[in-house]
Amino acid sequence: MDKEPNNLEAKAALLVGLFVALLAATVLYILYARGSFEDTQRLVLLADDSEGVRVGMDVTFSGFPIGRVRRIELAADGAARILVDVPVKDAKWLRQSSVFTLSRSLVGGATLKAYSGVLTDPPLPDGAERRVLVGDATAELPRLVSEVRELVGNLTRLTAADSSLALSLSNVRTITERATGPRGAGGLLMNESDAKQVSAALQRVNTLLARIDGMAARADVQVLGPQGLVSEGKAGVAQLNALLADARQTLKKVDALLVEAQGVAGNVRGATNGLDALRGEVDATVRKVEQLVDEVNRKWPFQRDTELKLR
Amino acid sequence: MSPLSSPQGTLAALLRGVAQWLAGWGRTVHLAALLSVLALSPSSYRADSRRTLARHLYLGTAQALPWFTLLSLLIAIVVIRIVLVTSQSYGLSQYALEMVVRVLVLELIPLAAAMFAALRCTIPMATEVATLRSGGGWDALAAQGRDPMRAEVLPRAVAGSFCALMLAAVSCVITLVVAYLSVYGFTGAGFAAYTHTVGRVFSPAVSLIFTLKIVLLGLSVALMPIASVLDAVPRRRAHTSAELQGLVRMLVLMVIIEAASLVGNYA
Repeated sequence: MDKEPNNLEAKAALLVGLFVALLAATVLYILYARGSFEDTQRLVLLADDSEGVRVGMDVTFSGFPIGRVRRIELAADGAARILVDVPVKDAKWLRQSSVFTLSRSLVGGATLKAYSGVLTDPPLPDGAERRVLVGDATAELPRLVSEVRELVGNLTRLTAADSSLALSLSNVRTITERATGPRGAGGLLMNESDAKQVSAALQRVNTLLARIDGMAARADVQVLGPQGLVSEGKAGVAQLNALLADARQTLKKVDALLVEAQGVAGNVRGATNGLDALRGEVDATVRKVEQLVDEVNRKWPFQRDTELKLR
Repeated sequence: MSPLSSPQGTLAALLRGVAQWLAGWGRTVHLAALLSVLALSPSSYRADSRRTLARHLYLGTAQALPWFTLLSLLIAIVVIRIVLVTSQSYGLSQYALEMVVRVLVLELIPLAAAMFAALRCTIPMATEVATLRSGGGWDALAAQGRDPMRAEVLPRAVAGSFCALMLAAVSCVITLVVAYLSVYGFTGAGFAAYTHTVGRVFSPAVSLIFTLKIVLLGLSVALMPIASVLDAVPRRRAHTSAELQGLVRMLVLMVIIEAASLVGNYA
């Protein structure tokens, strides 16, 4: 048997203590890593299909995990409810205008991402429900293949020998052949008799234009020539100017006469004032004569008995 | 022509073998239950028993711990480096840390710890018990009125389990530290991201399976070798030694436990 070391029980207790400490530290660390000591708020993401989402996966913002899927359940309307716990310290990155996406790539698992365009918006409240936008690369493939198949079918029909496009192209070729013919584009639009009529009409139009040209030359002479309307109009305007000058002189004389008339009127106004004074004096004299007459009437033999006697 | 060469004889021998195999497992389970009851009863930890337990516990673990720590450190450095370089070459470095934690901490290290505890601690202890039995010490103890199971077997079983658990705990912590240092270097900048990854790996289900696996591996490496040597009377006619039979049973049990944990984690 080996030589027994000293303090066996103490050393064994030390080992047990080390084990317990390691165990406790590990448990505490894992609880901390799982976010058990963090205050969280709930975010509910609604999706039509929760395929690829699993409990424990992260919700990332700018590549940083800010939340963790805690539960996935079915809502009453059949949609998938993805319950996410977001630590309160990271909830500041989620705003009411935030957008959430669930993207499934061809390689790797699905990812839940949050985008907050306006960080000054009000923060996302606890228990908020948001629709998650699904971007599924693999889900697009069947639709893409179907559309490509439809497109190829359309192209096949278009390029067939009896297709509308082929007939249209044939017609275009006929048209271009006629357009490059002797009658040019005219032969494209009308038959031969119509073309003759159009040609005759064009000749008549040319003749008419020549006559109109002569008329314009004569009108030019009559209007702008030496004896034309414009020259005579100019002489008339000159005579009118002379007449206007005479009229201006006459008016000046009238103005002088008016000034003199104003002087006469002033004199008449002064004479009128003298007549007023004379009239006042005449009025005073008349009143005195009336008083004198009244006085004479009160005297005898002109006295009249004015007394009324009542019997 | 011997009777065993006939089909009936072969079938009878096969059935007898299966019956013996089942009986052996039954005795092992019975012994495990007996030792569990003894381990959980306070009367097993009186002063004299406690000293014996402390002796086995310290000697068994202290001898294995430094070497296994060094070994797990080397294994961790090599495996983590391989995983990191490979994942970087494929552009999948974001999954490297999670893979390291899953492969090393959850799967390889507990298995290696149990194996090392078996080789360095529990198998030698089982040999001691076998020697004690063959040398007459067993009967002497019984003659003194002491229960040999409680006096000699229980301290060794408890010490063996503790050794496996201790090695697993220390090596897991070391592997976690080495993984951090390998990925982020000597800086604290990656602590939050690393903690987040570890937290994501250790979900409640994975943590429960991990804990159960370590405990069951510890119990199996502690009990199976001792159960084999205590099963010596029926084994006298066997062709193989009790130690080798115990080792095989222990390995089978470890493989079953590991497979069950893999099924639980990833199925």
